Amino acid sequence: MLEVAQASKSFRGLRAVADANLSVGAGEIVALIGPNGAGKTTLFNLIAGSLSADGGEILFEGRSLRGLQPHQVCAAGIGRTFQIVKPFADMTVLENAMVGGYRGKADTREARRRASDALRQLDMWELRDRMASALTLPDRKRLEVARALATQPRLLLLDEVMAGLRPTEVDRMVAVFTRLNADHGVTILLIEHVMRAVMALAHRVYVLHHGEIIASGTPQDVVRNPRVLSSYLGEDAA
Amino acid sequence: MAELWFRSTLRARAAMLALLALLIVIGPFADRYALTILILILYFAYVGQAWNIMMGMCGQLSLGHALYVGLGAYTAAALYQHFGVWPWAGMVAAVAVCVLAATVIGWLAFRFSISGTYFALLTIAFAEFTRIAFDHFDWVGSSGGFFLTVVQQDRVDLLNLRGHPLLFYYLILALTLAAFALSAVILNSRLGFYFRAIRDNDDAARACGVDTLRYRLYAVQISAALTGVGGVFYAFYYNNLFPEQIFGMGRSIEMILAPIIGGVGTLFGPVLGAAVLTLLSEGVTEGLSMAGLELPGLKQIFYGVLLGLSIAFMPHGVWPPLARRLGLGRSATPQGRDDA
Repeated sequence: MLEVAQASKSFRGLRAVADANLSVGAGEIVALIGPNGAGKTTLFNLIAGSLSADGGEILFEGRSLRGLQPHQVCAAGIGRTFQIVKPFADMTVLENAMVGGYRGKADTREARRRASDALRQLDMWELRDRMASALTLPDRKRLEVARALATQPRLLLLDEVMAGLRPTEVDRMVAVFTRLNADHGVTILLIEHVMRAVMALAHRVYVLHHGEIIASGTPQDVVRNPRVLSSYLGEDAA
Repeated sequence: MAELWFRSTLRARAAMLALLALLIVIGPFADRYALTILILILYFAYVGQAWNIMMGMCGQLSLGHALYVGLGAYTAAALYQHFGVWPWAGMVAAVAVCVLAATVIGWLAFRFSISGTYFALLTIAFAEFTRIAFDHFDWVGSSGGFFLTVVQQDRVDLLNLRGHPLLFYYLILALTLAAFALSAVILNSRLGFYFRAIRDNDDAARACGVDTLRYRLYAVQISAALTGVGGVFYAFYYNNLFPEQIFGMGRSIEMILAPIIGGVGTLFGPVLGAAVLTLLSEGVTEGLSMAGLELPGLKQIFYGVLLGLSIAFMPHGVWPPLARRLGLGRSATPQGRDDA
């Protein structure tokens, strides 16, 4: 479904993403992990069109995403969340989700239906009339997901939506994504530091280090990989 | 519109209808002076509403909106005076000219990612050099002014917009009502949601599929078109146009005071703000002249003080707290950006 081939991006000589290869099949849940500064969010931004790649190719459902603007990537069927949450502060929770719900259709009733569905999936229906500025951080993270989901994506890019959540909240989010994937066929690519969530959710894992993919495989394989351990803990630990 | 109507409270609906009925009935009973004041209030409510679409909804600050008043006014006035074109047809031309100007300015700004303060400066620059250009534009009288033929005021000529101030009162009332209705429709449609999304967070809006460049342009174009129609009204009501007066920086500021004091981004804000502002400033001027004081520039100082007080004590404008107190806002939006 998503094919990233030899994607590269440099910032003033610093190679943030270097010849990264990654693929996500339809119906999969794939995690992208790696230490801070490894280039995970940069890679996300290349896919979502927020940044343009210096080189390489990114294909979604066989179609190149190169040169597309973020709104065009969204229209192609990819929804994304932001690591640093970006709510529409002066709008209610429902209205936030409705902005996503209007994707491709200027019909208010349909937008409200899509938004309501998304909020129910995230257990946020009770909060629908709350102003987004009045939400707690975990709720803002969930709102990011609901808003992306309301755009009816086939592929969902989740950037650290579990960070800062309590273990019980992580488990709730994991359940939500498992259900979305199983019942609604949404394919998910997630950046995550919370290993509890990665181990529970991911079918496959890619490890990014200094902009390069250094390992990939099942979660169980990856956490035993010496290169992965050394990237996180230093050479001596491996 | 229908949706807004059904979602608003019964009290809000009753209040809206009562206000409208009062404004319709009051016309024939108002004397010349009262009529002048009412027209002024409605005019500021109208152009404030137009500006509010761009700033209040979409977050694009224009400090040069007098540009569109002037372009609209001069376009329709020149067509009428030189070619006898009916103002209604002139209005269409005026809208076209304003939308074109808005498109040029908007495209230049948004294409090159000029936003915030710099965008505001750009709008001032365009208004200012247009003023200077009109100062030297002989076809419309340059800095000496452009005058429309004034006819006897007791004959109402609807086609040519000539006649008694009462005609202009009902015209501006209809325009204000139309602008209000249009704003309400926009707020409850995809256009309004996208505008507000852009206002609150550009990146997030783009990620939600909003073509922010295109929707920003729409906001500027709609606002400019409405303001241009206001300019046509201005031209035929006042009958004389001076670049200094119509394009001046002071005019742009005057226009945006009503929505700021009333409440940026609210539907009733511009209406309430225009009423408060006009009545207070007329009251102060009257009071002082009765006391034998004539101070030039007093109005501007008064505006300044009022604006300062309003921002210090009611940063969201007069309307949102008032609406809550009167029980007119929707309880669902406690911070009521769009209490109708």
